[in-house]
Amino acid sequence: MRFRPGVLFVHLFLFLGGLVMAFPFYWMLATSLKSPQEALQAKPIWVPERMKPANWLKAARLGDSPLWGGLAPGRSVELVFPGREGHPPRALVPRTPGAFFDPRADGTRVEVVYREGAWRVRLTNTTEEAFRFLPLVVLWPKEVPLEAPLPPDAIRSQGEYWRLEWVNAVPGALGYVFHNYLEAWHAAPWGRYFFNSFFTALTQVAVGLFLAALAAFALARIPFPGKEAVFVLILATMMVPGEVLLIPNYVLLARLGWLDTYYALIVPWLASVFGIFLLRQFYLSLPQDLFDAARIDGAGYLTQLFRIALPLSLPGLVSYGIFTFLGAYNALLWPLIVTQSPEMRTVQLGLQAFVSEAGSDYGALMAASTFVILPVILGYFFAQRQFIQGIARSGLK
Amino acid sequence: MRTFPLHALLSLGALLALGVYAFRLGFLPGAWVGVGLGLYALLVLWGLRFGWRHVLLGLGLFAYWLPPLAFLAPLLFALLFGRGLREKEQAALYGWALVWPALALLLVWHVFPTFYAFYLSLFERVNFLRPAAFSGLENYRILLQDPLFWKALGNTFWYVIFTVPVGLFLATGVAILLNAQVAFLGFYRTLYFLPYITALTAAAAVWRWIYHPEFGFLNWLLRTPGLDWLNTPKGVFALLLEPLGVQPQGFWAGPSLAFVAIMVMSVWHFLGYQVVILLAGLQAIPKEYYEAAELDGASFWQKHRLITWPLLSPTTFFLFTLGLIGAFQVFTQVYVLTPTGGVLQDTLTLAFYLYNKGFRDSDFSYASAIAMVTFFLILVLTLVQRRVLERRVNYEI
Repeated sequence: MRFRPGVLFVHLFLFLGGLVMAFPFYWMLATSLKSPQEALQAKPIWVPERMKPANWLKAARLGDSPLWGGLAPGRSVELVFPGREGHPPRALVPRTPGAFFDPRADGTRVEVVYREGAWRVRLTNTTEEAFRFLPLVVLWPKEVPLEAPLPPDAIRSQGEYWRLEWVNAVPGALGYVFHNYLEAWHAAPWGRYFFNSFFTALTQVAVGLFLAALAAFALARIPFPGKEAVFVLILATMMVPGEVLLIPNYVLLARLGWLDTYYALIVPWLASVFGIFLLRQFYLSLPQDLFDAARIDGAGYLTQLFRIALPLSLPGLVSYGIFTFLGAYNALLWPLIVTQSPEMRTVQLGLQAFVSEAGSDYGALMAASTFVILPVILGYFFAQRQFIQGIARSGLK
Repeated sequence: MRTFPLHALLSLGALLALGVYAFRLGFLPGAWVGVGLGLYALLVLWGLRFGWRHVLLGLGLFAYWLPPLAFLAPLLFALLFGRGLREKEQAALYGWALVWPALALLLVWHVFPTFYAFYLSLFERVNFLRPAAFSGLENYRILLQDPLFWKALGNTFWYVIFTVPVGLFLATGVAILLNAQVAFLGFYRTLYFLPYITALTAAAAVWRWIYHPEFGFLNWLLRTPGLDWLNTPKGVFALLLEPLGVQPQGFWAGPSLAFVAIMVMSVWHFLGYQVVILLAGLQAIPKEYYEAAELDGASFWQKHRLITWPLLSPTTFFLFTLGLIGAFQVFTQVYVLTPTGGVLQDTLTLAFYLYNKGFRDSDFSYASAIAMVTFFLILVLTLVQRRVLERRVNYEI
């Protein structure tokens, strides 16, 4: 094939466009790995400290376990600050603001000693419980050049000193990198939210698929009186935008006493016109001879449906499944309306609540956004072809 | 010889079951249930002429206590004695039996609510606190004079005008480039497609961070520190024309800067979907057309204007319709980016206004009126564009 200079331009355009499309994802990831001070910079930081492998190694040495860190009772950790003797730095474990009792601040023994050309800050857990994280503040004299054992999460000026702050002095490698993720995860009952979302979406997919397959088969392959009327009715339902259904369905759910239950999240969306259409199209495209042959062999309609039509329409089923799952998992408006209690929140609702509550903790917020979209993205990478074809199929006339 | 219309009894039974539920919830007067039960009993009595085993169908008369029985009794009967039925009867029976589960759900959650929404809109302030008075079309009269409604309508109008054509234009460009047989097709497609499967809530949270007035990436990129994208109610036309000394007012000032920011995010999010659909459409165009055109010496533009554009028109038309309907219901991204509807309600959309009226002010009837007007607008617009555009759409390949 001869080389066409046009190809270069095509790549240039596609790549630049792709850069714009992908940038928000990178920015989300990068911010989710930033300390608050890094996130709140007027000049953006492209590669935060927590993204650098050299720092992972440093963090792995701090804490009991190299991966998750932590400090068990009676154990201690030593942070080494190379520097000259003279002005000693000061170190303390900051109190949680407003806390009546803070085991970390009260139960950690802090010693600062000079040995072998370096100041050593030694933290010892004197309590009975293990610390998952341990914040630390070190006041470092300004005239001594600083070489920290782990890049501090925040540096402020305090008189003669630099005030170095760590959100966790015993992180371990993963605890260091994914600090914001852990924080976001523990800030809300995400496990429950994920369960709600998956349960809702998967039930909708399973039951919806079954019902749509039954109806679509009847509409495509069984000549029954009144078929045209049913078809027209289903066509007409397609014209009604979802917005119209919000209020009456809410009232209906209220009358049924189903508000704030799984029924409210699932039942109204079980029958899908789109699914019926899609599968009907599939069944119509199968050769009639197949069904005639089965008929001659004595197969009833149900046998034809379950033994012939369903297995052959697998791509259609997958396509419908992906669409329904995406719709249910990503929905915000409907769960927002029909649920009130935090236990019934879906992940999107949980994220929306987190957005309004997290305030300026953008690291945690971006971490939460990341793990909310993660299941779908992972699903995409595992079943890329099904995703693309499934979506493309929805546009076939 | 005429036979017993079992499928009619089955359908009557399904309707009867729904009727009993409706009666229990107070949507239907008891007399209707009586009529239904009477009809059912008459049919069963008539069935006795065809054999005493039809007594079994009488089970359905207990529908008053256990509604699904009315549907299940004929089904059970068919399963027991279905073998003796003739071909045509079997088709009628199975057709209806397979269609009813989905159809019943559609009737309850799609068809009935559509009419119920209209019914609700005829009352004066429906909420659950007190009985509402009938007020005819009063809500619609108020709606037509409601400045906020016009504001929301204007905003939604701008949203449609901006996002639908721009999104389609960009998507067509990308799809044509992707269709040029470049290397790394899968990579580029993934880049463009990922935003679409990302939950809107999470995506909007990320964009909110990008739009942050002090630490946002966009302000750094454009060197516009402090520009509060999402809280700027000034219209973009007004902003653009300001240097020329022109000051458009009201609607003609254009969508606010905040709303344009939301639109950019929306285009970014939906682009991948359109690209995938258009790419499928492009790949369905036979290569021979392009080869023939190349032999005749057609240029790049000629090929795409004379071959791609007309042959792609059904897909474009489909996406246009879909975009129009979707744009009229835009809610999630607006809600996450500007939770209060923006400064001076400058990002209020129809769906957002409906949500505010229904679920913040608990005025279900007024919200229903908004829903009905939206429905009407979508219907008219789709019909108009069908009339105007479909004549230009080329369905033959």
